[in-house]
Amino acid sequence: MSLLEVENLSLHIGALHALRGVSFSLDAGECRALVGESGCGKSLTAMSLLGLTPPGAVFHADAFTLAGEVLPAQGSPAWRRHRGADIAMIFQNPMTALNPTQTVGAQLAESFVLHRNLGRREAMTAAVALLERLAIPQPAQRAAQYPFEFSGGMLQRVMIAMAVACRPKLLIADEPTTALDVTVQAEVLTLLAELQREQGTALLFITHDLGVVAEIADSVTVMYAGESVESGSVAQIFNRTAHPYSAALRAAVPSLKQDRRPEGIVGSPPDLRREVTGCAFAPRCRQRMAICEDTVPEFQCGEGQRVRCWRWHPDHPLRWREAENG
Amino acid sequence: MTIPVFRFAPWQPAEQQLDHIAPAPLPSPFTPSVVLASVAVLLLLCFVSVGPLLWPQSHSTQWLSQVSLGPTTARAAKVVRDEGLWRPHGDVRSLRVADANTERVRLHWPALPEVKRYQLYRGSGLDAGLGLPLAISSTPYYEDRLQLRRALYRYSIADADTGLLLFSVEVRPQQAISEFEARLQGLIVGHKTTLPSTIMLPAHPLGTDALGRDILARLMAGGATSLFVGVVAPLLFISLGCILGAIAGYAGGVVDQAIMRLADFVVALPFLLFMILFRVAFGIGPGENGIAPLILAMLVLSWPSSARLVRGQVLALKGQPYVESALLSGLSTAAILARHILPNVLPIILVAFSFAIPQAIFTEAFLSFIGMGVSPPSTSWGAMCNDGIKTLLSHPRHMLLPALFISISVLAFNILGDALRDISDRRSGGVGR
Amino acid sequence: MLFYIARRLLFAAFTIWFIATATFFAMHAVPGDPLTQEKAMSPAVRAQLEARYGLDKPLDEQYLLFLGNMLRGDFGISFTQENRRVNDIIREHFPISATLGLAAILIALVGGVAAGSVAAHFRNRWPDRAVIFAVIAAISLPGFVIAAMAQLLIVRLNSAVDSTWLPVAGWGGVEHVWIPALVLGLGTMAYLSRLMRASMLEVLSSDYVLAARSRGIGPWRLFWGHQLRNAILPVVTELGPSIAAITTGGFVVELIFAIPGLGRYFVQAVQQLDYTVIMGTTVFYGAFLVIVVMLVDISYGIIDPRIRLTSGRRR
Repeated sequence: MSLLEVENLSLHIGALHALRGVSFSLDAGECRALVGESGCGKSLTAMSLLGLTPPGAVFHADAFTLAGEVLPAQGSPAWRRHRGADIAMIFQNPMTALNPTQTVGAQLAESFVLHRNLGRREAMTAAVALLERLAIPQPAQRAAQYPFEFSGGMLQRVMIAMAVACRPKLLIADEPTTALDVTVQAEVLTLLAELQREQGTALLFITHDLGVVAEIADSVTVMYAGESVESGSVAQIFNRTAHPYSAALRAAVPSLKQDRRPEGIVGSPPDLRREVTGCAFAPRCRQRMAICEDTVPEFQCGEGQRVRCWRWHPDHPLRWREAENG
Repeated sequence: MTIPVFRFAPWQPAEQQLDHIAPAPLPSPFTPSVVLASVAVLLLLCFVSVGPLLWPQSHSTQWLSQVSLGPTTARAAKVVRDEGLWRPHGDVRSLRVADANTERVRLHWPALPEVKRYQLYRGSGLDAGLGLPLAISSTPYYEDRLQLRRALYRYSIADADTGLLLFSVEVRPQQAISEFEARLQGLIVGHKTTLPSTIMLPAHPLGTDALGRDILARLMAGGATSLFVGVVAPLLFISLGCILGAIAGYAGGVVDQAIMRLADFVVALPFLLFMILFRVAFGIGPGENGIAPLILAMLVLSWPSSARLVRGQVLALKGQPYVESALLSGLSTAAILARHILPNVLPIILVAFSFAIPQAIFTEAFLSFIGMGVSPPSTSWGAMCNDGIKTLLSHPRHMLLPALFISISVLAFNILGDALRDISDRRSGGVGR
Repeated sequence: MLFYIARRLLFAAFTIWFIATATFFAMHAVPGDPLTQEKAMSPAVRAQLEARYGLDKPLDEQYLLFLGNMLRGDFGISFTQENRRVNDIIREHFPISATLGLAAILIALVGGVAAGSVAAHFRNRWPDRAVIFAVIAAISLPGFVIAAMAQLLIVRLNSAVDSTWLPVAGWGGVEHVWIPALVLGLGTMAYLSRLMRASMLEVLSSDYVLAARSRGIGPWRLFWGHQLRNAILPVVTELGPSIAAITTGGFVVELIFAIPGLGRYFVQAVQQLDYTVIMGTTVFYGAFLVIVVMLVDISYGIIDPRIRLTSGRRR
């Protein structure tokens, strides 16, 4: 039994069918990267894991459990018990994700007051202690300062401190390094990895940077047009890529080692305001087949590797695929 | 279930058969409220410009006989000659109504020997009760000339000493006009000895005000003033602001400093307080209507905001590479201003202008309301409100009608300003509110 | 921050001086002199009056005298109300105006913040639409129309219940304050709630509110701790102009509701061309507003840590 089970997540926001079937699971202590181009529904998946989908959105999932417990309906007040305590999130831009008119310490302490039932003063002490543990110099003074007095990297440490304050079972990091200088990106990644190992937290790492994925993640789920198209371990995704979209993503990353030009993916993702039939990637796919007009189920294509592509149907002639993959 | 193998056959799609995602269409700026506001503005402009041609009554003619009337149509009026004091002779058997028109009601009743003084009451024929105590008369006749209108009245005559009710009669006066007033209004020309028995009185579709002036004509004339001030004052002070702002932005240095510090000071002045002060200081000579000092005062106090706006834009644009290249290629200052700076500044100016109009209408109304705006016989909607507040409790129409016109015009201009701002924001790549 | 306050103080002093000077010269630019308005008088009486009001001295001397008196807080004697000092008029009637204005600004601020917050939280639903409609109605009605309509309504209400349970006009107890204050504050309330709605919408869509929700903070704690303070900042900057609007709006409200405040005296003085009272009250009101706007700006700096701690001016 995994810590987090998400099966066939679907979300309608008005006419927009934003999520069309997202499935993945996460074990305690595992780090899964959620990759895909912008607009593919990565952040919405994260938001639905916090019960924070936009009001009026229609939500459905075949399975949606954390540690065996079914998570509440979207927008339900019951979420407040989970948020911050069981599931915590690190936002993309630390500069805007902190209240500009409250001291950093007060915002940190708020979590302790809410989820640990600490008094104001005790919460503040705990907040300072936490800042110290995350190697923020002069934590007591820093806690009394406002967000605008911090640098970006320092603020992201604060955000991370805030997220791990109550030792959540699941930590979601939504592109935690994209808004930061390159020099501090590595620092933040190391911190995240350390914390995850130390606390045994499951980490859902949302990114579009495949380089980061290789560094930090144990497993990967690739998303395209609101559905998970391929899931597997890092080794599987990088070495035995099964879905043409994953392969195209990899080909689009510039590489120093290999002497090849990065290849873009022709075309643009489908308009999710209209119902998509068949494989969403088919119009851009170089390995498109006649059957791609039919809706694709998921196929097993290796130990724990799942892919949403007809090429992995048992009836598909293997020699064709082998010829393609070279 | 097995799938036929041919369905897995590779099939290259046509190269450019890709979905093009059309961006979500921008909402049209012509929402129903914007259309409605445009129509309202057009109608108001027609009302004050074409209106007086179609409705040729004067806004300042006072009808003494038709004060505070409700809506009336054109109607015939009996001409009544002023005969001085009325003194009927002889006796009557019962209460006689000798004359009943809106100029006078004459009552004559039999003298009762035991009554020394008669108390007269006048009340509405529709209500019970005696109504207004008119007078105490020692003679058995009385002429009532007090604010008569075409309504059913009941006159009651009682013994003033005992309070005993003696007579009662219901009277509906007929529309009349005195000879004096008919001559005053030019309805009777020359010194004819034989008077026409009736004269046609003009219609008052919205009634008359407390001084007997036609409200419709006053709304037209007042609207002309209000809208004139509302449009011309912003036009002038925004133009002045643009010129000063452009000079400041373009010249820079000492000139810029001087103009901007001056702007700081003017902005810090309490606006309406200084409007009043300047309005008093500029004064009104005899025969002036007070519009010019009003506009002048607004000009002095309102230029800084547009000056700041333009200066900021000019400074921002001056650093743009295309303006620099134009400078290098030897274009004259005027040409650069006209070709590069003006087209960029114009939309912002237009938005500022459209928001300045309702502001100016408000300012004019406020000043006229406290008697510091236009002076009679000129009028404006604000001045009409000032007149109307005196009869607010008896005839709320006198105040509410001009107030309605102020509100409609302010609302319409505000909606148009909002729409204009949205369009200009969209043009410059910003997102509308 | 101290440097900022000092700069604001200096600017305020300059502005007050500017107002005083402008007032003085504006009043002396009036065609004719104040005494010609009065009925014909003998040269002797006239000379005496001129001496009394200092009109016989040259203009520059009068100006210096005026500035000197003003610094000592002496605005001279009224022209029309003989023997009444302008200072006494201000001292007697300004507290009434201030009470009314304070009540109005409180009503406007609390009402505007509440209405704006509610509208933003219920965006595009009926509470929002109701607030927007009320705002549009209130900002397109001039203050004197609102006041007159309120009075008409009270009269009709009183005659409907056949007693005067709401006073129509006058000044005295609490019941005399709140209706004029509400009427006076309504326009500003509409303006502030529009502002509040916009800034609250911005706050509601901000990352930090989402982040706070993601930490399990409940709606009320979120509102008081995170949303209100951030959303109210732009509203506070507009408080200075709002106080100015309410002060001048008080002129007509006092006139219509027959409240013996300074505003009514000011309007009467303007209508009767009572020069010393006009000068005195204009300078007084001007100084008052300049100081209030300055205080609001400084307090804004104290509320917003970004300004308090970085000493400079905004932006």
